[in-house]
Amino acid sequence: MDAFSGLWSGFALAVTPVNLLFALIGATLGTAVGVLPGLGPAATISLLLPLSYALGNPVTSIIMLAGIYYGAMYGGSTTSILLNIPGEAASVVTCIDGYQMAKKGRAGAALGMSAIGSFIAGTGGVVGLTFVAPPLSAFALKFGPAEYFSLTILGLMLATYLSGKSVIKGLIMAVLGLLLATVGMDPVTGNMRYTFGLLILEDGFDFLTLGMGLFGIGEIFISLEEKMKAELVTTKITNLWPTLKDWAISKWSVVRGSLIGFFVGLLPGGGAVIASLLAYAVEKRVSKEPEKFGSGALEGVASPESANNSAASASFIPMLTLGIPGNPAIAMIFAALLIQGVTPGPLLIKDHPHLFWAVIASMYIGNVMLLILNLPLVGLWVQMLKVPYSILAPTIVLICSIGVYSMKNDVTDVSLMVIFGVLGYVLRKLRFELGPLLLAFVLGRILERSLRQALLISRGDISIFITKPISAFLLGIVALMILSSVIWALYNRFKTKPTAPGKTA
Amino acid sequence: MKKWERIAAAILTFIGVSAATLAYDLGFGDFHQPGPGFFPFWLSAILALVSFIYFLTQLGPDSHRVSLWDKHAWVRPFQAAGVMFLYSLAMGWMGFFPATFLLFLIWLILIEREKWLTVGLVSVLGTLSFFLIFTVFLKVPLPKGAIF
Repeated sequence: MDAFSGLWSGFALAVTPVNLLFALIGATLGTAVGVLPGLGPAATISLLLPLSYALGNPVTSIIMLAGIYYGAMYGGSTTSILLNIPGEAASVVTCIDGYQMAKKGRAGAALGMSAIGSFIAGTGGVVGLTFVAPPLSAFALKFGPAEYFSLTILGLMLATYLSGKSVIKGLIMAVLGLLLATVGMDPVTGNMRYTFGLLILEDGFDFLTLGMGLFGIGEIFISLEEKMKAELVTTKITNLWPTLKDWAISKWSVVRGSLIGFFVGLLPGGGAVIASLLAYAVEKRVSKEPEKFGSGALEGVASPESANNSAASASFIPMLTLGIPGNPAIAMIFAALLIQGVTPGPLLIKDHPHLFWAVIASMYIGNVMLLILNLPLVGLWVQMLKVPYSILAPTIVLICSIGVYSMKNDVTDVSLMVIFGVLGYVLRKLRFELGPLLLAFVLGRILERSLRQALLISRGDISIFITKPISAFLLGIVALMILSSVIWALYNRFKTKPTAPGKTA
Repeated sequence: MKKWERIAAAILTFIGVSAATLAYDLGFGDFHQPGPGFFPFWLSAILALVSFIYFLTQLGPDSHRVSLWDKHAWVRPFQAAGVMFLYSLAMGWMGFFPATFLLFLIWLILIEREKWLTVGLVSVLGTLSFFLIFTVFLKVPLPKGAIF
């Protein structure tokens, strides 16, 4: 099935009333969680995993969950522009110029350009997904256990490198995540590992409990540190449609943001947050008037908002074609597919072509829905910002508790979620990035299975990982990354070491 | 900050060493036939090693002393953690809805210090909304206990 006929069949499935309804529900929920600070797309998707399972149809549930992810990228900008608080992490930089524009009475232009830029970039990203995913998937069919092991290692290393400032801290989190994934029954021998005789640990930690604890509950603890004292810009929002002058200023910013977002989104660990930060930095660098940035530059809104939407679409590519989720929200969708009995990876397009193409087709439709939801209906989202956080926080706690409880009907999972929430909070206070931990947790079983299968095939010869060309190439990149970071660390240490003039004698 | 980083690194090193010991006892196997402890052993060993290197990088004087929390910023998050943990226990004992009512009540009084009228209204209406949405409409089986 080529891309065009695949897409055609996908549209036929995506436009059924049920799928359209759930695409709309996903897009609306996504915009809502994007608008509301304190509840990100990863936590929301994990919250709706039980519902997606109850729907019974993997196509419908993934259409809804995907809508939440890319919808959140649209909604996040509204809060950044009107409240100077990022609705979700990928809209942090939009606060800088977006809020300044709103204070100058140009909230409409900022919101309008943000929504239109998001639409162009989001749709562009889906076009990329349509044409890049099938050949990549076909290539990945050549992968055996050794290649999968090396690819997973590369994915984790990239996630570690791109997730934060400290590589060593990212590495610790990734290894901790892999170790947490080993808790419970060994899939090969049936032995219990790290269960300490506790019945609740025999099935291992649940992905939902861990994800919702680390991200949903952990985020609430962070938000509770100080009372939110944000000032909502209350001027009437007019002139949402950009003027010709606005277009002239920001057209190339949208293009640059879209391209940066797409390529960063392809990388594991990249995702929308890094894409938007990078797009803003590039925009400021190429601008003829960089001094305008920070005081209400339209390019400072258009570029990062385009980048985060493009990255959101692109991040589906490694998950759907290689089975490697690039960021926590995509990891949640990965888990949802597994719950539905669908294994993301190179065989997905071959085994489940209807699911693959219907999800892609729904993303085209979802982007149009989001443009409508975020332009004419922006006033509705502004009203939502008036709900006080003091009421929102316990509500989020309750929704998380119901989500976790309903997976196994066990209240112990709720207690575990709180414990993971505290762990996530403390780790974040210590400036550990939680993304690599969650990704490693998801990939842990795949990594162990690939390692053991590869060793069985090679009869215990570990050179299998370097004698197979694709595996050797992937591990070569890992080696280069490690080497470059060691050299960089040594260089920095040498450079910053103060010269002690009196000590030479 | 370095003091906290050192403590964290020491704890993580300890976890790595302990987990490696436990994994070895589980059965290491060999490269030809890996046992249940094979993969966790290598992971734990890497965790211990990397955490120890991290510990070493945090030795020496702290150039910029930054506290982990500003003044009493830790109080509300840990209060919330305590309330939530008790809520998870109460949910099984007294049932979801009485526990939810108490969660709203205690959260709004203790953590948010809201006015009594707000506390009462939000607790009653919040619990009622959850009952209508999850039990009446979505028919989610929520824990029933001694009270409801």
